[in-house]
Amino acid sequence: MLQYLLKRLLLFVPMLFVISFIAFGLNQCTPGDPVDAALEGSGVMPSAYLREYRQKAAALELDKPPFYFTLTAVAYPDTLHKIIPQRNREAATALIAQFGNWPEISAYLQQLAAFKTKLDDLRPDPAAKDQFNLAMYATERLPQTYQPASIQAGLDSIGLALARNPALQQKVASEFEALQQAYRQIGSNQSRWKLYIPTFHGYGFHNRYHNWLIGILKGDFGTSLKDGRKVSVKIKEAVNWTLSLTITAILLAYLLSVPIGVYSAVHQGSKTERVVSVFLFGLDSMPNFWMASLLIIFFTTPEYGMDFFRVLGPASLPADASFGERFFSALTGIILPVFCLTYTALAYISRQVRTSMITALKQDYIRTARAKGLTASQVVWKHAFRNALFPLITMFASVFPAALAGSVIIEQIFNIPGMGQLMIKSIQGDDWPVIYTILMLASLLTMIGILVADLLYAVADPRVDLSNKNRK
Amino acid sequence: MNFFNHKQKQPEVESPPQQVGRLRASPGWQRFSKNRAALWSLRMLYALIFVAVFADFLANDKPIYCRIEGQTYFPVFKEYGIKYGLSQGNGAYFRREWQHEVYEAVIFPPITYNAQQADTPNRHTSPFGKQAVKSWRFRHWMGTDGIGRDIAALMVHGARAAMLVSIISMGIATLIGLLLGSLAGFFGDERLRTSPPRLLLNVVALAAGFFYGFSVRAFAITEGVLFTELLKSFGILLVCLLVANLIAGQMERRFKFSASVAIPADTLVNRAIEILSAIPTLLLLLSAAALLQKPSIIYIMAIIGLLRWTGIARYIRAELLKIRSLEYVEAARAMGLSEWRILFRHALPNGLAPILVVVAFGMANTILIEASLSFLGIGLPPESASWGNTLQDARSAPQSWWIALFPGLGIFFTITIFNLIGEGVGEAIKT
Repeated sequence: MLQYLLKRLLLFVPMLFVISFIAFGLNQCTPGDPVDAALEGSGVMPSAYLREYRQKAAALELDKPPFYFTLTAVAYPDTLHKIIPQRNREAATALIAQFGNWPEISAYLQQLAAFKTKLDDLRPDPAAKDQFNLAMYATERLPQTYQPASIQAGLDSIGLALARNPALQQKVASEFEALQQAYRQIGSNQSRWKLYIPTFHGYGFHNRYHNWLIGILKGDFGTSLKDGRKVSVKIKEAVNWTLSLTITAILLAYLLSVPIGVYSAVHQGSKTERVVSVFLFGLDSMPNFWMASLLIIFFTTPEYGMDFFRVLGPASLPADASFGERFFSALTGIILPVFCLTYTALAYISRQVRTSMITALKQDYIRTARAKGLTASQVVWKHAFRNALFPLITMFASVFPAALAGSVIIEQIFNIPGMGQLMIKSIQGDDWPVIYTILMLASLLTMIGILVADLLYAVADPRVDLSNKNRK
Repeated sequence: MNFFNHKQKQPEVESPPQQVGRLRASPGWQRFSKNRAALWSLRMLYALIFVAVFADFLANDKPIYCRIEGQTYFPVFKEYGIKYGLSQGNGAYFRREWQHEVYEAVIFPPITYNAQQADTPNRHTSPFGKQAVKSWRFRHWMGTDGIGRDIAALMVHGARAAMLVSIISMGIATLIGLLLGSLAGFFGDERLRTSPPRLLLNVVALAAGFFYGFSVRAFAITEGVLFTELLKSFGILLVCLLVANLIAGQMERRFKFSASVAIPADTLVNRAIEILSAIPTLLLLLSAAALLQKPSIIYIMAIIGLLRWTGIARYIRAELLKIRSLEYVEAARAMGLSEWRILFRHALPNGLAPILVVVAFGMANTILIEASLSFLGIGLPPESASWGNTLQDARSAPQSWWIALFPGLGIFFTITIFNLIGEGVGEAIKT
């Protein structure tokens, strides 16, 4: 048993590794700039934007390579990750994808930077401010532009602005000429063949994935991009809500569904049983977010005069509320969501209990038990139910993940600050450190749920031999 | 020959008449059709598919047929023609306000609104309340939402979205699940054997396919139309694999390589299933849906399909584990049929019936997932007709109970149908 437990726990490690790859890969494929997500709303001045961006990107280690290695075409340099901001990097990548000649593109980008510093150094004479600003604007846009037509248009508008302002033109003519020359070089010296030859770049351990992984092993899950709080703190608060919701709901569902299922199995065919069965079947097909919406509409808004419950979430109390108020508020806030989670599990579990009880009641030993004169309740509970118990236990493995997933949408609807709501908010805000952690944690919880079910199964049925390799 | 003669002389009296058809005559169908609820659910499913296919003829602001000033028009057909580039609409067609025309003769669809049209004077109108419409013909039978869209029309077009998503994504999931599950179940860890060069070439081809299909084409994929570019990429991947296997075949023939390497198909597939079922589906779907900058029905179908194959794979694996040791498979093997032929022609068809159950429940689940994703605002685009989207709209308008009631009923109804069919098939197979 202990050996089996250890083996299963060891299997968690590679599974979590793969899940971390999946999460990290999803992040890499997702559009959106994490630095912008972090800077958003922090009130950075446009003038200080680039400096702030660099600092933030360095703090988030975004100037480091993402993974241990990359497998790309020869055309791409192995230092591409050093280009920041991300928009510039994407534009550079797109240029390489079109022309394949990184040396020329790099020269062009350097020339562009040089031209911009030259422009920066020049104080415009007030008379020609418009043209200067026009040239400056076009220059600032060019590093993010990758379509040849747009680049040409940008260069043309700089040229036009310079032509209208001879004084300015004199000062930067040579740089501008060099810039245009560098851009023409890209077009004339294409090396698209380089795009089709694969190459391998190794980066060693100085990469983002490695650092993130080491951080997790040390217990540091990083900080949220949104509010700079520790991810572990945010998730701890959220997990409490989610777990208390789901576990209450599952316990309630088990408590209620056992009598219902046993009753409908024992009284199979009676009128009450048929009504109950149809009702349960309907309940099983009832989407819980619809039920939740209906409950919210009818029981929390004053529209229909039945606003018995509050829905605004448990966090909206004044700070000096007494314990009683808090308790009552949490209670009324939690009844509807728990109800929504419970009835889904209830419908499923009691139908399963009914099926397995019916199978159990058909067995020969039930007839024997009846024949030797045991009372009905003894037959049902001691003989049949004992044997109908196993599917009930294994069901935990599927009920628990289902409840976790179900709570995502229920939390969102009832505004409960649990993992589901945190997840949705983080996805909407590109807050990937939080998303990683939630994905891994939810997977871990699911795996533990499955493991617990397997162990309980062995405890309940001594015939189950966990060390058997061909166990199904 | 002897066998045939024998049969001609003594035709089986008890065999059902031929015109009934093979399916209807099968004992499974007979048992299924005794289950009234399941049979009616199947009929309701046909009706639902009819609604989904002919949504444009059931809910449309244009008449199906009309005569104006001696001219005969078929505006709904015209709409299809314009959509697929077969005909061009003239100014009159676009300018015409079909609901306010004076007709000599007209056949309107049962619901005289389409899913996008906002009937602005009628916002938040109750199905039972007063409505600012010309006649009963233009009444909003299920009310309207906050911008005046007809709920009944949204229901009809939402049925189309739901059926499309569930059928296509379940189709993808079934294909993947059948393939991987049958590989795992039929071959196990030992029996899927291949020669070293074939294995090596396939690995190389897979890497090359991903490199040339996806890595090299990353720019084309992001710039062009995602769907067609992805198709091209998968085409490149397939070509790479094809070439590798052709070369491998030649090499095996020339240099007499034997199939000496066993691929642990069962272990690989089982690990994949374990990992996919360890991550809570909705969370994975949420993060996968975050990849899409613009939500669209095609990607939602693809994502659901690519993530939901594990149930089917698990079932077909268990089935084939049983089937592969049956006598007729042994017999086929003794006759010298190839393993692949036995798998696809003899073993797999025999294990398909239980899959119907999983597929039916899977369809119910897919409808639920699509509705949940749309409800959370990351499924179908917010302006497109989907039950989930309409339910989402209902949240901001608690005074209009009809916006929440009807789409929810639609989801509930569809899920019930699929669940009943699944149960019916399950019971028909069991006995």
